[in-house]
Amino acid sequence: MPIFETVFQEKPAIVLEIGSVYTKIGFCGEAHPRFIISTEIRSISDILKKSYISLYDQTAAFFTKIFFKYLLASPKDRKVSIVESVLTPTVIRECIAKVLFYHFEVSSVLFLPTHLVATATLAVENAVVVDLGFKETIVIPVYSGVQVLSAWQAQPLGSEAVHDKIKAELILNGVKEEILTDAVIEDIKVRTCFVTKQSRALSFKSKEEIQPCPDLEYPVDGNDVIKVPGQLREVAFEVLFPKDNDRLGLPYIILDAILNCPVDTRKVLAENILLIGGTASALGMTARLKAELTKLIESDYYKNRLFIQEVKFHSAPSKPNFTAWLGGSIYSSTELITSSSFTVTRENYLKNSKIPDWVNYESAFVRTQG
Amino acid sequence: MDFFLSKKIVEYACLCGVLSPLTKLYFCRHCLNLRCAFCCHHEVDSHFCSNCLENIPSSEAKLRKNKCNTCFDCPSCQATLSARATSIQVPMSTKGEGGDETDEGSASNKMVTKKMYYLACLACRWTSRDVGISDQTSQTCSWPEQEYFHSTRFQLLSEHFQAVVLCDKEEKQDYLRRKTVKTSKFPSMTDRTGLTVASIRRQIGFDKSAPKAKPKPTNITPSIATSEVEDLPDEIFTKPVNLKNITTIKQRLAQPANQPETVKHLYPQHKNLSIKRSLRCRHCEHNVIKPEYNPSSIKYRIQLFASNHVPEVRFVKADPFKIGESASIILKIINPTINDMTITIMDLPTEDEEKMAIEEMRKTFDKSVSIATKSSLTPSIMRPSLIEDPRMVDCKITGKIELPDSSFVVNQRDDSAEFDDDIQGDRQDPRFIIWRKANKVEIKLNVIPCDGLKKDDDIITGFTMQFTYSNVHTSTPEKESQGLRHALNVRVYINPGKISE
Repeated sequence: MPIFETVFQEKPAIVLEIGSVYTKIGFCGEAHPRFIISTEIRSISDILKKSYISLYDQTAAFFTKIFFKYLLASPKDRKVSIVESVLTPTVIRECIAKVLFYHFEVSSVLFLPTHLVATATLAVENAVVVDLGFKETIVIPVYSGVQVLSAWQAQPLGSEAVHDKIKAELILNGVKEEILTDAVIEDIKVRTCFVTKQSRALSFKSKEEIQPCPDLEYPVDGNDVIKVPGQLREVAFEVLFPKDNDRLGLPYIILDAILNCPVDTRKVLAENILLIGGTASALGMTARLKAELTKLIESDYYKNRLFIQEVKFHSAPSKPNFTAWLGGSIYSSTELITSSSFTVTRENYLKNSKIPDWVNYESAFVRTQG
Repeated sequence: MDFFLSKKIVEYACLCGVLSPLTKLYFCRHCLNLRCAFCCHHEVDSHFCSNCLENIPSSEAKLRKNKCNTCFDCPSCQATLSARATSIQVPMSTKGEGGDETDEGSASNKMVTKKMYYLACLACRWTSRDVGISDQTSQTCSWPEQEYFHSTRFQLLSEHFQAVVLCDKEEKQDYLRRKTVKTSKFPSMTDRTGLTVASIRRQIGFDKSAPKAKPKPTNITPSIATSEVEDLPDEIFTKPVNLKNITTIKQRLAQPANQPETVKHLYPQHKNLSIKRSLRCRHCEHNVIKPEYNPSSIKYRIQLFASNHVPEVRFVKADPFKIGESASIILKIINPTINDMTITIMDLPTEDEEKMAIEEMRKTFDKSVSIATKSSLTPSIMRPSLIEDPRMVDCKITGKIELPDSSFVVNQRDDSAEFDDDIQGDRQDPRFIIWRKANKVEIKLNVIPCDGLKKDDDIITGFTMQFTYSNVHTSTPEKESQGLRHALNVRVYINPGKISE
């Protein structure tokens, strides 16, 4: 048998992770994505207001670009894995499936949950996976290789919030709004801003006089210069750590997610935290989160509920922004891509035109019975 | 021309219901229908490098991960790098030069100039020397490849999980095998007597050879979480940043594996290949576009552009539109084929008719799919392509055309006619034809704006154009001397302007 297997080696599956800003694309069994490109289906809620056809067309156009401009692979009769968050709206998943089956005629589509596959890059079974995305942060603990869905936490704390903060501050400082495009703000954030230390953040908060990091002059288009104040560079990411009574900041939702898990799993989970997503690559993010979490577990609110002594972080063998993609690559290189009950084959899709959902296995059952 | 600067004035509706200008449409001569890029099936035809124009076979392209071996992209600005030559003085080595044997004394003093190459970007002045890549002796020789730090770990992970899944599968099969009830009507002797395979083996004396060991997943050291995380460097609070040394997000993402943060780690990237694409009609599986393999050729082996087969409608001019009054528009119709065409202008299908046509299309298609899916033995290549779901044309008619009372003929295209004098045919033209020359005809039609329009509203009008098409390329046995003549319909939508008053 092995001889035949090598002879008739299948075309490698295509693995996609479609984020709200960047899409990671590549083939299964590779250690990093081939390309990270910007997602061209923007503001899906707006499109949906117009019509479903418009969403379908945009998705088809975007995938055409992915297959023929970047991956250079005919999608016909290929397997495709999509790494996506379990919170993705059903409309979008169904649209993606429809585009892939009808427009591109792929042989099967496998949807993989971001948080679960991210743990595969560590070869551990228990972890709290914190996905720091552009629009939101989603925390889902994984225990014994199963997502604890009841413990999920999500807040609109992501790069978008940081971008808004930077933009607002710069406009307050007298920078013209028209030169502050999204790309410029993103570049300012990536190249100059960092997550400052907890002690310094507190000092800024209480308006203490401390020396902020040096100011910076950021040239735009060769005409304008944006003066980025040192304080902004340090406090831009503070929007992710709001200090108020809502307890909805980044460290809070991580601890809440752990708190929602059964008692005997909490210690293990707290000692296995994995940060993924583009925002996690901000300088000093892990250090700051650690400091915040360590402080919080000592606080009155959590002290008597969570009996955790310390938190520990994992580092995946990848950059944080494609860790989930890497997990998808590992999963898709196994036999799961054909045998998993979540794999939707072309035949099944044509029969039922349904894709299994995380809460509704219906078509998955149909598959095993038939 | 209507497509000039891609202003959408005259658009044709493809069979799938998408509107596009004639220049972007194809014509399937087997189904005799318009096709657009959206409803055709795209296929990768051949790989080539857009810089060195080398044709790369697809198996090789796969091995090279769709990158060109010899061409590089600038990591700083993503333009193509070019190899630049410098000459350096090196002491001549006797070993290297096999041909001329000189005595060692003079050789050590002799200096030869040697050509060395480095990569430079002509757009942003980045050079491979900036990041400390040493110069190479030949232009195309192997430039040092950048290693990916995590690749060994990934290999381990990948193997581990493959083994885990295989193991799982084996266990499941084992379990099913044990669980299934024997279907045999006759009681098995071994069941009765308690003689099992294992015990028989033991009796015979085979006990040493244990049953085949089950595959075990390879051991892998799981990642270990630490409480020691990298802290911010202290100097970040005091040292001013030099933006020139920090890479932009675009530069980082151009190297997805390493995503360097400082310009010191930028590395020339192998150029990504390009492809030639062929298009295939989903209904009849015939190619409508197939390019030549040679990357430097811009010709096609199969080219069924609609503009070579379908009469072209150009908008010439229109009277100003007023609410409630009819205005005339002038259209030019051009016959691109080498046969005369009879053209009839008809009404567009109504909404109900359109819906019915779509239903019809779906039905005929469903039939072919169900036949194919019923026999599960049909190999995947034999499966018919799925068609795009046909849709209603997304265009609201706001001006009604007064149909001309008769059809008319447009002469064949004749390239030599350009040089002939104006020969007026003895044809009796109907009154709405105002001009005729060679294969072109100008017609004048009246358009009545619909009720309920306001000033500055767009007038959109349209008609179904029926034309006779002679299929000269037909390969069917009933081919006759003139080929087959068909009457084909296309839906044309025109936007002649706005309401002025």
